[in-house]
Amino acid sequence: MNPEFQRNLWLELTPRRMVLMIVLLALAFLAVALAGGTDFTVGGAAQWLFYLIVVLWGTRNAATAVVGEIRDRTWDMQRLSSLTPGEMTWGKLFGSTSFNWFGGAICLAVLTFDTLTHKGVVAALADIVYYLAIGVIAQAASFLASLIAARRRQAHSRLDVFIYQVVGIAAAIAVNSVWSIADPATMHLAHVVGADVIAWWGMKLDARLFLLASLAVFAGWLLAGCYREMRLELQMRNGPSVWLAFLVFIGVYAAGFDAWLPKDKSVEGLDAVSLRLGLAVSVYASLTYLMVFLEPKDRVHYRWLGSQLSSARLGAFFGGLQAWMMAYVATLLCGAGLVAWIQLHHADTTHAMEIAAGLGFLTRDVSIFVLMRGVPGRRGDFAALGTLFALYVLAPVIVKGLGGESLSMLFYPQPTQPLWLGPLVAWAEGLTLAVLALSRASIRNSPAGRSQPSPAS
Amino acid sequence: MIEVSNLVYEYPTQRALDGVSLRVAPQTITALVGPNGAGKTTLLRCLAALETPYDGQVTIEGLNTAASPREIHALLGYLPDFYGLYDELSVRRSLVHAARAHGIAPGAAGAACEKAASRVGLADRMETPAGQLSRGLRQRLAIAQSIVHEPKVLLLDEPAAGLDPQARRDLSALLVALKDGGMTLVVSSHILAELEDYCSEMIIIEGGRIAGGKAVKVRDIERPRYLLEIATARSDLKDFLTARAGLDVIEVDQHHALFTFTRNPSARAKLIRDLIAAGFEVSSFGESTKALEDAYFAQVAAP
Repeated sequence: MNPEFQRNLWLELTPRRMVLMIVLLALAFLAVALAGGTDFTVGGAAQWLFYLIVVLWGTRNAATAVVGEIRDRTWDMQRLSSLTPGEMTWGKLFGSTSFNWFGGAICLAVLTFDTLTHKGVVAALADIVYYLAIGVIAQAASFLASLIAARRRQAHSRLDVFIYQVVGIAAAIAVNSVWSIADPATMHLAHVVGADVIAWWGMKLDARLFLLASLAVFAGWLLAGCYREMRLELQMRNGPSVWLAFLVFIGVYAAGFDAWLPKDKSVEGLDAVSLRLGLAVSVYASLTYLMVFLEPKDRVHYRWLGSQLSSARLGAFFGGLQAWMMAYVATLLCGAGLVAWIQLHHADTTHAMEIAAGLGFLTRDVSIFVLMRGVPGRRGDFAALGTLFALYVLAPVIVKGLGGESLSMLFYPQPTQPLWLGPLVAWAEGLTLAVLALSRASIRNSPAGRSQPSPAS
Repeated sequence: MIEVSNLVYEYPTQRALDGVSLRVAPQTITALVGPNGAGKTTLLRCLAALETPYDGQVTIEGLNTAASPREIHALLGYLPDFYGLYDELSVRRSLVHAARAHGIAPGAAGAACEKAASRVGLADRMETPAGQLSRGLRQRLAIAQSIVHEPKVLLLDEPAAGLDPQARRDLSALLVALKDGGMTLVVSSHILAELEDYCSEMIIIEGGRIAGGKAVKVRDIERPRYLLEIATARSDLKDFLTARAGLDVIEVDQHHALFTFTRNPSARAKLIRDLIAAGFEVSSFGESTKALEDAYFAQVAAP
């Protein structure tokens, strides 16, 4: 057996804990059955308990699988082991959540039996795939977020762990929301109209099949991400190819949903190509923000990247690029393509100018994250978030209150007169902050000073 | 065994290692000494392929840490200055996990654990949870985890910190036994006294650089340093000693002499007999116990 998985089983699946889980779940199901209500059945209780145990609690355990070891100072010993990144990844991800899956398996058995008796075999099988997928995706997302952040080598506070957990919960909510299109009965948070077919890239596809395949593919990407982050933790090198492949995939995947966009003023008059490019740009920009927040912004690494570039060691340079940098470049390239397309094919270029301004503000925002990273720990990132909150929310409200509504173009994309003024202001801000961030990263450390020896003997 | 070439490591606001180059011979115990904050821990972590240097190279047994980190990890045992244990696991399970994680087959893991435990004196506490061990015993368990796979290189960062005198003596004996068994050890400390017992080489690190530019040989196990003291001053003490075959004088005045000489007891007995026969009033003769300290201050005092 994988030694890391076994170690986790020793710690997590003790006989006492297992008995306690069985007894508590049995009592919960018995209580619901005896209550005899029609709104809340044993199957419904099993669903909620599955979410509670596997998603809510499981993401917590997945988030602490590595950062807990860093906190307890056992991680260096683990990094020196002979385990492969794959063994370490599944040993930690499924080992740290083994107790959650033990409880989840009981819940899944109950709810599958319930579905089987009420809806038939196909629905029961779909339920099994869905619940396993949502559990794996949620836990893998938390685990991945914690691994990305682990490279910061800081003390991980409870707030940090909560953030990694939230990433997993958000992934689960996204999965649940999307799945509700195919099976509205699983949606507990709102009323959703189900659909048998999904329009994607103009094709009409069976909703249930498409979404199950999507879940499997996204779970695969998440596990691949965990594997690659684990490689970095074990001091192995990753090239940029897998992340670039993911960017291509996610861009193409998202662009196919243009038919789902609400037909409101924000997209009025835009053709399908513009909408698809717009979806890809939105996804890339979101990934840029997420990754620049999570990834370490180490100025020594940035200086090293600069030295590799200046000495034309392009292989090392591209190998050292961070995920947010590649997502940022993808946003710029795709965004520039979108701006060019609208300029060439549409008479009204207001949208193009707003998108160009948006790219400038994105440049400003990532520069703020890099600039604010001067202080140790995560405080710099929260300072950056605070700055963005001030720029996007507080400052515009204040400016509006003072009667200067037109000045809101200083803070976020707005239609302006003349049209080019908005992009000009945004890029002036973006480039100024980018130059500041780059110049700060390029400040070299002075050689280590010689201190007086003071050995005790 | 270990070769470091022009190693540079930078923290965001400080250059921790500034062009460090050194060589560690196989089957030696090398002390890595220097004041707090000198860069000892950073250097050890770079040797262990746990950190990626900004520039320079580290090779261990011909493997480069940048190109083959996992192969290097398999060769190493490493005890950090601040380490953790799985408090809820017993000593046996902690060692079984360490052995299996280092690639020892399930069938051989039990024997490897027993051997490691008996080496550090934990054989009678195999079922005790790690969380119930005293500080000294926790240190022993951490060392046992580091050596359970019989690494070729063992890196120890402040291994004696917090240990009582008896535990320190036991640790010294263990390290010498590991070296005699074929391991190469690098031991970091800023307390010279604890290194005196077992280190033969010393690397002084100061402000991220190697003082003197290379390792200093502080002790030849076969030819220790001896300190001689005579009661009555004799101006011919230096001539008498330098004339003797196999004896190398380091320092001498009319009352004292520091020299290297063979460890052979008969040769030493003959030297004492000859000194007395020549009329030297020998009041003290013994192995110098401050070789490391002397070498340290000689090196750091050098321009």
